[in-house]
Amino acid sequence: MPASPSSQPIAPQGRQNPRRWALVALLLFWSLAPMLWQLYTSLRTPDALLGGLAAIGRGWTLANYGQILTSDPPFWRYLLNSTLVGVGTTLLTLLLAIPCAYALQRRGGLQRQLVDGALLVAAAFPSVLLFLALLQLARQFGLANNLLALCLPYAGLSLPLAVLLLEAAFAELPRELEESALLEGFGLWQRLRWILVPLLGPAVASTAVLVFLFSWNEFPIALTWLSRSELLTLAPAMARIAGSSVFSVPYGAFAAATVLGSVPLLLLLLVFQRPIVAGLTQGAIKG
Amino acid sequence: MGERRRSLLVGVALIGPALLVLLLVFLWLMASYLWLSFHAQNLFTDLQPVPVGMLNWRRLVLDARFWQDAAQTLRFALVSVSMELGLGLAMALLLNQRWRGRGLVRSLTLLPWALPTTVMALGWRWIFNDPSGPINGVIGGLTGSTVPFLASPSLAWLAVVLADVWKTTPFVALLLLAGLQMIPADLYEALALEGGNARQALLRITLPLLRPYLLLVLLFRLAQALGVFDLIVVLTGGGPASSTESVAGYAYLNAMRFLDFGYSATVMIGMFAVLLLLGGVLLLVLRRPARFQP
Repeated sequence: MPASPSSQPIAPQGRQNPRRWALVALLLFWSLAPMLWQLYTSLRTPDALLGGLAAIGRGWTLANYGQILTSDPPFWRYLLNSTLVGVGTTLLTLLLAIPCAYALQRRGGLQRQLVDGALLVAAAFPSVLLFLALLQLARQFGLANNLLALCLPYAGLSLPLAVLLLEAAFAELPRELEESALLEGFGLWQRLRWILVPLLGPAVASTAVLVFLFSWNEFPIALTWLSRSELLTLAPAMARIAGSSVFSVPYGAFAAATVLGSVPLLLLLLVFQRPIVAGLTQGAIKG
Repeated sequence: MGERRRSLLVGVALIGPALLVLLLVFLWLMASYLWLSFHAQNLFTDLQPVPVGMLNWRRLVLDARFWQDAAQTLRFALVSVSMELGLGLAMALLLNQRWRGRGLVRSLTLLPWALPTTVMALGWRWIFNDPSGPINGVIGGLTGSTVPFLASPSLAWLAVVLADVWKTTPFVALLLLAGLQMIPADLYEALALEGGNARQALLRITLPLLRPYLLLVLLFRLAQALGVFDLIVVLTGGGPASSTESVAGYAYLNAMRFLDFGYSATVMIGMFAVLLLLGGVLLLVLRRPARFQP
């Protein structure tokens, strides 16, 4: 059942509620200040950074961005790698999860409860525990330093959450719709392709964004699978930048890296905020 | 009969691939750790597995660093998850009220959660910097001296907690917001008619009905926090003097720096056992159905 949008706790009406606005301001400061500080840092020269607020008038620069974009390998390379892995993982996960969620939802009963329970446990499982076994697997099959192969464990790790979210979405679709399509002579594939998945649009979108976020942010497995520097994804690249002394007074360049690493996600989140919230909400209700 | 068999086959075909990947990733890999924990596979064995019986396990029990890391990880998880639940609930209550601009604020508060942990961990390292970070800029301006947040064992773990709370509270708030939206408004109206105040509404309606969501978030976050790794690697590197090292970090160190794969697997199984135990106990203690207050 969808949440009824009218279910709001009673709250004092009107705009004159200074306490609430103070809380909202506090919340925004808490959420955004660390990121704004990075943006500020990324635009300052090293001397200006050490000079504090007294030097606010001068010392603005784009050199930090120039430095990380021209280093070897250039920073955009990591963004490209992460995007490639993210898109591959998302496609693979959806391909596996949609049929699975559909069948689980339509089957119902005890089987489904058991599988759902197992999926929930798997979704909460801290993936760092798997890096060693995956590394050995990668060595055995020669999959290390292969960005596309990295999509396999990523898909495995995102499957539980994806199946749970999509299952909740399938439950929303009226069965009559499918039955009438069945009477029209639609096969299973046709029903999925032309009727069910298109109707699931928002849920599929939110699941895709969440899987993409997971893969974009994953660290321990990427750290062990990828060793060639031109193949690094964003997360291990940041860790490597943090551990290296390539940059003499590094924080300006660090900050430029954090800003560039955040921008794609910022855009994704601003565009998909509604489906993300709706999709997670729906999944949480079912779970 | 043929029809049923066909439907079973279709079911298997649909669920099978996903189930196979899941089984491979989770069960098979965990089983391989169990096997590895009874073998030595390190530099002395030329990185070939050699059966050693309980040796790794005996070492784990006697390993002071493992127990220190376990205690540190547990402390980190308990403190940060309780703060996240408290703050997340407050945030969800605020974001559930009706006010102008709520949608935009909802997306903006989600940002910390969406960013890669390693990216912002690097940011926090600069924010906690001594003496040039902004926090020390304020402290230094007020008191004339600065605080070595990341160089002092008693403060570094709190810095890690703060960075984790910053990143994951939005996620907690989002899930709790989902729960809040399921509470029927007439309950609050009925309470208001009886003359109840906001505090009673929170204690008698919101919290009891939110209980399953709180439990779900608690278990989920606890499991993730006990596996903390990325944040610590970048923010403190486990230091100073391994005072912020987590169990996952220790397992990683054993595998990738000391090349002692057998022992690393043992550490991870040990961690997994702690995780299962804690989760089981929590479920037993907390799992009571939500009650409607009359």
